[in-house]
Amino acid sequence: MTSAQPVFHFKVVMPSDPRYLPVVRGVVCPLAAAIGWDEADCGAITLALDEALTNVIRHAYHGRADGVIELECKQSGDELEVTLWDQGEPPDMSKICALERGCLEPGGLGTHIIKDVMDTVSYQALPRGNRFLGVKRLRKTI
Amino acid sequence: MKISVREAGDAKIVDVEGDVDLGSSPELRKALFGALQEVRKLALNLSQIRYIDSSGIATLVEVLKDSQRMKKDFVLFGLNPAVERVFKLTHVIRIFRVFASEQEAMESA
Repeated sequence: MTSAQPVFHFKVVMPSDPRYLPVVRGVVCPLAAAIGWDEADCGAITLALDEALTNVIRHAYHGRADGVIELECKQSGDELEVTLWDQGEPPDMSKICALERGCLEPGGLGTHIIKDVMDTVSYQALPRGNRFLGVKRLRKTI
Repeated sequence: MKISVREAGDAKIVDVEGDVDLGSSPELRKALFGALQEVRKLALNLSQIRYIDSSGIATLVEVLKDSQRMKKDFVLFGLNPAVERVFKLTHVIRIFRVFASEQEAMESA
């Protein structure tokens, strides 16, 4: 009997509290390394997820620490799929990547980072809640 | 995150150690704005920062804007490769004066 190769898949529910951001970084960076990304890419993927979580805390929950965030990381072949669900205010699509980078404005950098690092990004307001989905593909050099 | 402030003549050097993220950047912001009021030149040592996100970068942009408004000097030094990558990703590296070492940062006009 044959079966499909098992893949890494985890789900975690966390409060919208910045204290837990280092915990998530501590899991995602080694996961990206295990899938096959190099140190620089692991750092970039970790940063992109951290930025997505930060956006949920700041904009969906307006800095409240008692919101609920569901985080799911799933390896699918040579891809890492990251999904966030929250029950806060829906994302304002007009503000995503709205500010020009490299200017003397302190905000709006996070969505640019996410877009640059991940291969596919989507933000959706759905009946179940707000969903962020980011996918990163491993590019083989051999 | 640990923050300490040293005096160097009419300048101050802020040493930061650890991670700068949404949870810790308000503390860094407070330390930098506090130190900036009292000096002509403020230097931030980033060599012991393991991680910085866009909220940390945004804090530094805010301090830079305020330093320019007050006609003071705000410089950075000691960026490690991980921190430098974030500066490049956010395209803000060109708006800061960045030096390799503390000596170069303090000798800069």
